[in-house]
Amino acid sequence: MASRTLFGIPVSAGIAIGKAYCLNKCHFSGTARQVVSEAALPGEMTRLTQAFEAAQADLERTLAMVPEDLKEHAAIIESHLMMLKDHKFRKRAQDHIVSAKVNAEWALERAVNDVQEIFAAIADEYLRQRMQDVQLVAERVLGKLVGCGAGREAIKHRAILLAHDLTPADTIELEVNKIMAFATAQGGKTSHAGILARSLQIPAVVGVEGLEDNLNEGTIIILDGFDGRIILEPDEEELARYTDLQVQFEGYQATIMRSCRLPAETIDGFRVQVLANIELFEEVVAVNDNGGEGIGLYRSEYSYLSRSQMPTEEELTEIYADMASLVAPKKLVIRTLDVGADKLMRAHTHVESNPALGLRAIRYCLKHRDVFRTQLRAILRASVVGNVSIMFPMISGLQELVEVKKFYREVQREMHAEGIAFRQDMPFGIMVEVPSAVITADFLAREVDFFSIGTNDLIQYSLGIDRTNKDVSYLYQPLHPAIVRSVKWVVDSAHRAGIEVCLCGEMAADPFCIPVLMGMQVDSISLGPHAIPGIKRIVRQASMEECDALLKQVMASQSVARNNKLVREMIFRRFPEELMFYSSLVDE
Amino acid sequence: MDGVQEKIIRVGNSLGIHARPAGKISQEAQRYASSVTICSKDAEADAKSILDILTLAAPQGTELILRAQGPDAREAILGVSRLFEEMFGEDR
Repeated sequence: MASRTLFGIPVSAGIAIGKAYCLNKCHFSGTARQVVSEAALPGEMTRLTQAFEAAQADLERTLAMVPEDLKEHAAIIESHLMMLKDHKFRKRAQDHIVSAKVNAEWALERAVNDVQEIFAAIADEYLRQRMQDVQLVAERVLGKLVGCGAGREAIKHRAILLAHDLTPADTIELEVNKIMAFATAQGGKTSHAGILARSLQIPAVVGVEGLEDNLNEGTIIILDGFDGRIILEPDEEELARYTDLQVQFEGYQATIMRSCRLPAETIDGFRVQVLANIELFEEVVAVNDNGGEGIGLYRSEYSYLSRSQMPTEEELTEIYADMASLVAPKKLVIRTLDVGADKLMRAHTHVESNPALGLRAIRYCLKHRDVFRTQLRAILRASVVGNVSIMFPMISGLQELVEVKKFYREVQREMHAEGIAFRQDMPFGIMVEVPSAVITADFLAREVDFFSIGTNDLIQYSLGIDRTNKDVSYLYQPLHPAIVRSVKWVVDSAHRAGIEVCLCGEMAADPFCIPVLMGMQVDSISLGPHAIPGIKRIVRQASMEECDALLKQVMASQSVARNNKLVREMIFRRFPEELMFYSSLVDE
Repeated sequence: MDGVQEKIIRVGNSLGIHARPAGKISQEAQRYASSVTICSKDAEADAKSILDILTLAAPQGTELILRAQGPDAREAILGVSRLFEEMFGEDR
């Protein structure tokens, strides 16, 4: 029988080959990941220790009851007991609690994953199978942690999960260790499910057309998280091809993860700070796990979306302060509300004929001062907690910036009069993403502490194209001479004024663009957490000398086609391994 | 005296170091105050950790270096290497 192929949006890279498991709201008694405050960490450590000890006591009791003639059985229990007592395994889980600031259950799962990774590399089939023992042992401890015995039903074998949609609650309750990958009929590029998949490093595809007509339990499936392909009942040739790709990717992934905590420093000693773009609180864990050196862009919109009331100052302060303390001493750059355009919120529904050029971001905030004030106060209040910076989106020129600063000072004065503490010298920055701001970057640079270049919007506005419009999206070209010149001018203007410049946007996560950006000597880049290890690896293998030479060629070129050719040649020559697993914005 | 003791050992049993031998090794190693490590040609394992030992993935015939450092290093080497010599009580 011929295979059938469905297509969706790839949200997490990787290949999975396995049986389909259809989620019909049945029971999952899985692990929840909770981010834990600093103060609660000792409590989690104690819970973990007690759970290990309780599980150990259980096993010792069981062992004592094994009769002499069932020695073979006892050996297995004995080895389980040894695993339970394994100080290295226990320490791994404890380290995860501290480093990721998560609950004991999740830390335990992570420790199992670590061990799983090590075991996956073992060639010997028998020994690789011992991973099951580690899992059984971990389940015992988990049972103690969640206060119930084993007796879990749900997913029996590791499988590819197929569902209509995964709500945040679903994704939290899933038995994550049993899921090889998942696909949903609903959802888009930035869905919660995608974030979860990336943090678990399992491949995922969302928005799959026709998925629900093909929800057959047990069907063999290949899920391709690179291009969003789902092959149902694949033939032998397809299986062989994807198995190869899977093995290669896992090897590559293991390689880049091993070095992801090292600084992004070129072989000739030029260092770029690698920060993360995030939207949700939970993503902080992924930032740490992937070697992020801070949060370069926290999109604050999430707290405003899908609700009928605006969030209160207290709500926002709590979110920002929690995040700041979790990220500290690393920096957290909070971008003020960037709604409008595609992200309309119900609280202020408003129809515009051209939202991208309409009342959005800073324009919206300056018009709705009450909303703006609430957010500024919350960010200022959180500034005393950690290493917080404030950043304003879509600034179009000096006059607008002066207006923002005036209001910002006014809010500070109010808070001062009320006796509310805040950090007076919290770094104050702007997004440079509107062409008029680019052209006047030298003026703007004197007024702020840092720039952050938002390339996604900058490219759209500069080239006058809507990227989501299929008919013109081919014109979205990050290496268009106009874009390269713009970015270079902004970076140089910032450096002349003695301020730092960050580059956030998909360009920062594109291996083809990185050498050019390095050549410009940007101070930091900010990208999706999962893209950090791969980009760091490229930076660490590159030299400033070659990046600089490439930049000179690109700056001298008049055509985007030549620029694309130049960067492709360099990447093919220097980083051939990276190519297989990346999609680039740079066309052939 | 905190000397370093080393001994070259060979995996003799036909199944290699699987779960049970690894359990025995770690149990034995834990009896000593010294640190005990087992090195293969490309990896090093803490002999007190069953999981570490398993990741050595040492089949029959593998040569390993047993190393101990601490106050009872000599005893630790003797105790652990005896398990190897006895082939963990298997193949008999």
